[in-house]
Amino acid sequence: MTYVAPLPREAITDPEMRDLIAQSEALGVPDELFARILARAPEQAKPFMRALLMSHAEGNVDHRLKEIIRIQLARFAGDKYFAALRSRKARQMGLNEERIEAGCGDYEDSDLFTAAEKSALRYADQMYLDPTKIDAAFYAELKMHFTEPQIMELGAFIAFHYGMQMFMRALGAAAPGSAR
Amino acid sequence: MATDPEAIDAAFFDELRKYYSEEEIVELGVFIGFNLGYHTFFGTLKFYPLFSPDGRLLTQAESEKIYGPAPGSLKAAEPSR
Repeated sequence: MTYVAPLPREAITDPEMRDLIAQSEALGVPDELFARILARAPEQAKPFMRALLMSHAEGNVDHRLKEIIRIQLARFAGDKYFAALRSRKARQMGLNEERIEAGCGDYEDSDLFTAAEKSALRYADQMYLDPTKIDAAFYAELKMHFTEPQIMELGAFIAFHYGMQMFMRALGAAAPGSAR
Repeated sequence: MATDPEAIDAAFFDELRKYYSEEEIVELGVFIGFNLGYHTFFGTLKFYPLFSPDGRLLTQAESEKIYGPAPGSLKAAEPSR
């Protein structure tokens, strides 16, 4: 059990919140645990859930790439909950565990990724490992592969998901289906 | 949460509950997580405060002269793995 207990599902009566929970269950990320904890602060819950779903599953950056980045970040954050979740949409688009492990590992030397994908993985990796390395030259390299709107989409996605992963780690959230 | 997440345990939440409701603790937690993520991102973009310490509106160049060449948000980031 997390340090803050999730609301019982039946206690969430707001139609929009229930719809957002259904959307997250369909995607697989987050699952209902995150939404039911967030629902304890109902005014915060809906915009955060909308933003989390939109930043991950919509936009103009490949959802499969964002899914690898999300898992890479969750491992970096030490968050077992988000690290264990998988996007059904990404899986349906062909993302498999081999590619996820490669992206979370030594992706620089992997032949599974393009130069563009490696630069995006590096962006996430360095953001919280050594952000001083993300300088003008780093952004110039990113701009060789991505438009500025795509870079902002990636950066905001990385920042938002990492922040929520640190929140879930602080709550002591375990991987779904496991004991803490 | 940012510098020593292992220190946030059940006793830590018991202490928080002396002062805050469950709703407020969740609100605080997502607020902190959001800022923890975004301040580093904004730091990499070389954003500077729009205002001087005494409240004057600044250009980014003027702000850089006041606040220094490296945004403060990049200094505290430490890996947690």
